[in-house]
Amino acid sequence: MASKNCIRVLSVAVSLLLILVFSVSAKSEQKVIKIGAVYPLTGNIASTGLDCKRGVDLAVDIINGKYDLDLPLAKSAGLPNLGGAKIEIVYADTKGDPKNGMSEAERLITSEKVVAMIGAYQSAVTKTASQITERLRIPYVCSDSSSPTLTERGFKYFFRVSPHDDIFARDQFQFLKDLEKKTGQAVHNVAVLYENTEFGSNAGKAYRKYASEFGYKVVADIAYPANATDVTSEVGKLIVSKPDVLMHASYITDAILFTRTFKEMGFQPKGIMTMAGYIEPGYLAAIKADGNYIIVRSTFALDLAKKKPLVAKVNELFRKKYGMDMSENAARSFMAPFVLAEAINRAKSTAPEAIVKALQDTDIPGNETIYPWKGIKFDPLSHQNIYARGTLVQILNQEYVTIWPFDSASKSVVWPFPAWKGRK
Amino acid sequence: MRNFTIRQIIAGVAILLLLIVFPLVVSQSFNVHVMILVFMFGMLGVAWNIMGGYAGMFSFGQAAFFGIGAYTSSYLLIAYGINPWIGLVAGGCAAAVVAAVIGYPCSNLRGHYFAIASIAFAEIVRIVFNNWQMVGAAEGLSLPMQNESFANFLFNSSKLPYYYIMLAFLLVSLAVSYFIATSKMGYYFRAIRESHKIAEVMGVNVVLYRLMAIMISAFLSAMAGTFYAQYILYIDPGSVMLLATSVQIVLISMLGGAGSIMGPVIGAAILIPASEYTRVALGYKGTGMDMLIYGLLITLISMYYPEGVWKLFSRLGRKLK
Amino acid sequence: MPDQLLQQLADGLLIGLMYSLVAIGLTLIWGVMNIVNFAHGEFLMLGMFTSFWLFTLFGIDPIFSIPICFVGMFVMGTLIYRFIVSKVMKGPVLAQLVVTFGVSIFISNLAVYFWTPDFRLLPATMLQGTWQIGGVDLSIPKVAASFGSVIASVSMFFFLKRTKTGKAILATEMDREAALLMGINTERINSLSFGIGAALVGVAGAFLSTYYYIYPQVGGLFGTIAFCVVALGGFGSIEGAFIAGILVGLAQTLGGFYFDPSYKYAIVFMIYLITIWIRPQGLLGW
Repeated sequence: MASKNCIRVLSVAVSLLLILVFSVSAKSEQKVIKIGAVYPLTGNIASTGLDCKRGVDLAVDIINGKYDLDLPLAKSAGLPNLGGAKIEIVYADTKGDPKNGMSEAERLITSEKVVAMIGAYQSAVTKTASQITERLRIPYVCSDSSSPTLTERGFKYFFRVSPHDDIFARDQFQFLKDLEKKTGQAVHNVAVLYENTEFGSNAGKAYRKYASEFGYKVVADIAYPANATDVTSEVGKLIVSKPDVLMHASYITDAILFTRTFKEMGFQPKGIMTMAGYIEPGYLAAIKADGNYIIVRSTFALDLAKKKPLVAKVNELFRKKYGMDMSENAARSFMAPFVLAEAINRAKSTAPEAIVKALQDTDIPGNETIYPWKGIKFDPLSHQNIYARGTLVQILNQEYVTIWPFDSASKSVVWPFPAWKGRK
Repeated sequence: MRNFTIRQIIAGVAILLLLIVFPLVVSQSFNVHVMILVFMFGMLGVAWNIMGGYAGMFSFGQAAFFGIGAYTSSYLLIAYGINPWIGLVAGGCAAAVVAAVIGYPCSNLRGHYFAIASIAFAEIVRIVFNNWQMVGAAEGLSLPMQNESFANFLFNSSKLPYYYIMLAFLLVSLAVSYFIATSKMGYYFRAIRESHKIAEVMGVNVVLYRLMAIMISAFLSAMAGTFYAQYILYIDPGSVMLLATSVQIVLISMLGGAGSIMGPVIGAAILIPASEYTRVALGYKGTGMDMLIYGLLITLISMYYPEGVWKLFSRLGRKLK
Repeated sequence: MPDQLLQQLADGLLIGLMYSLVAIGLTLIWGVMNIVNFAHGEFLMLGMFTSFWLFTLFGIDPIFSIPICFVGMFVMGTLIYRFIVSKVMKGPVLAQLVVTFGVSIFISNLAVYFWTPDFRLLPATMLQGTWQIGGVDLSIPKVAASFGSVIASVSMFFFLKRTKTGKAILATEMDREAALLMGINTERINSLSFGIGAALVGVAGAFLSTYYYIYPQVGGLFGTIAFCVVALGGFGSIEGAFIAGILVGLAQTLGGFYFDPSYKYAIVFMIYLITIWIRPQGLLGW
């Protein structure tokens, strides 16, 4: 009996000890500029969080090392105005929970002494994390959360580099108008389909708003629960409503399931235009050729390399480091460290107020980014990047190809959507 | 019921004093945050324990009450400018009413059927809130961050007030729990837990007392919900009404020791720091190692201390006599 | 429109049969041992990954990996019972709940650790494409899974009613002490039932892997629905789980189609609550 008790106490104690040992891991004491990053690194959407992390890590390599690239601070090692100081990213895992977003942001700021924050990906988490930075007066540069509400709060310390869903939704309707003008093919109505979490319902709202603004009739407005086991009823509703174009805002899991169900049930609109989930690296890897001809909103596509050699060079580095092509998520998260480092370098200080002041004066020209933008400059009030805009890519031969705006397109759009039946 | 000995009282007061001094000594705010979570989940565990531990109704839907509390006070504050302290009571009442409405038809359910019914109920509540435009649907509610004061239940510059308020809430819920355990009501609850039929034969109004247990539990859970909303300042169905939260509450109570007064608090004091600090130490690598250890810990504790870790501590407590 | 009604009915039936298949193993464990196995969804995930890796590494089609999944998961289920669950069988009910929950967290994160949290989908397997019958599109992998479900339910039914071991399981389910007195080794029955329960959900995983995406957290939603199906059918009742699965599938698709997709799971849970209000022991429970 005594020995049994011993085993009990021991095994529980050992696992507690494990926790302790890991908790008190050694911390390096170098002279570096620490930036905090919160991402969902475990849990349901960990694959996306890890993808964002890859982009950030590569960015830090480029800032800290010497590279012959047209990116801010690439050519110098570290930040020249601060004696070549290096950037270090301190990551924290949110598990996708807003509560953890808050506590981790606070921990990074108060315990790890980070001078600025980036990240979160999920808008709900960015919301709570940025409330903390606002409270503690620490700059937060976000380049991967796309809920419009984030920059509508009038926060002083929050800046967003990437476009938000309102811009993306408007772009998609603008594309339809441009397409009608260019090809003479008429589009009369759209169906709106979105998952009902904070991201999807905001996107749905934006879709509805711009549909009426651009004069398209919404024949179906369908919200569905995220991570569904089966989506036949949703697709059934779509088939019955016979839309010309489907607009779909979805995370990756549902994107995979919907694409399969579209094919199975032969849902055949003239075009399928989508957001978010359809552009994640996992999507094409899983769905393969069935993803062809779907149009996705994007800030980045590898074929930009044709017009922007920088993109090819960055992707080359990315391939070397991770053995895969840069995805849209990685590309979006990639820019935040540059924007921050460039501002800190200009401010010649890591004092939060100085960084914020520098961020307000940020004016990075378009050719120093990997996106097809005019540049990065923040709106004085909302702190949204005024040059941020979306592009549309179409999946052709299992690759994302830029098709809009038409002037930066590398191939012309395949429209209408080819029938499922005739494909190989 | 048993009386406390002088030694036990001294030990209790000493622990309380330690807790009061703790945030003043510990400088890192993350540790204070972890303690706040310990108190909050401790309180949720104590609330669960009243219906689960005493009355034998294993609820896996406590997050619904927690969420209703958070939503009621937040909505009243945002839409009508009603003070969150009033919202606290309103949220508690709302949760208790909902608990009564759902609890009545479930009053003849036992064991696992009740557990699954509570999951179904909580999921329905979550789905309804997720689609309910008036309360922000999936976008949730952001609470105002201005005008910090005790009267407004809002503190920007320091975590200390939150810490002491949550500690006070926990003590209140412990007092309620102690009162129930030592009163006639507690005996009725336990009689119901052991056997519906025998309790009924003994003249206990089973339906009424089951409802009372559920309502008290819901009220306390909703209080914690209001606290969460005022503390985090952003709520959405995906974070306050999650099945995972409900399950965590059961885990905490059970591992600490269901049916004992202090059990759930001890459970929270072990599990919450374990999950928070492993996440900090290992989560950033994204390998799942932190949760792996967490799962292992739960498995081991429930294998070797099926009655809860409480037993260990109660042995210590007896030595103090 | 009438086409769509048929289509929705057909799809409701197909997904419903999938739910039945997932739920049968759970109801067996539940009925025999009175344990809610929270790790059931994770067993499903392991079945899916087994099928995925057999295909990816050795080119074994999921159809042929079904027996491997069955045996593999049987062994795993038995081991988990022997070394973990049996230790808490005599303890309080809650300890049994929590121990399986701990196992579920452990397994799903072990999967993250070894296989990363990425999503995977099996490429074209032998089960692919659609059949068109009278204007209704039937997905072949789903039809195959439904056949699997029917076969599994029927053979479980006869196994329990006709074989000696099956009768011993049923006897244990009804009255453990009486069974023990009759000379039934209930400990062996427990471990056997746990093994069979895990094996059946392993088979479900193999079928599901032919059309659903695979990742470490995939068990979550299927697990929750399986709990509902089992409770709706009545704990321990194979027939109950079979019928309840179909009911849930139909309620979900028809509710989603005619009412509102965002409430489709709410409708399922509502049906459960109403049913047990009227019949607290579930449809076919006793």
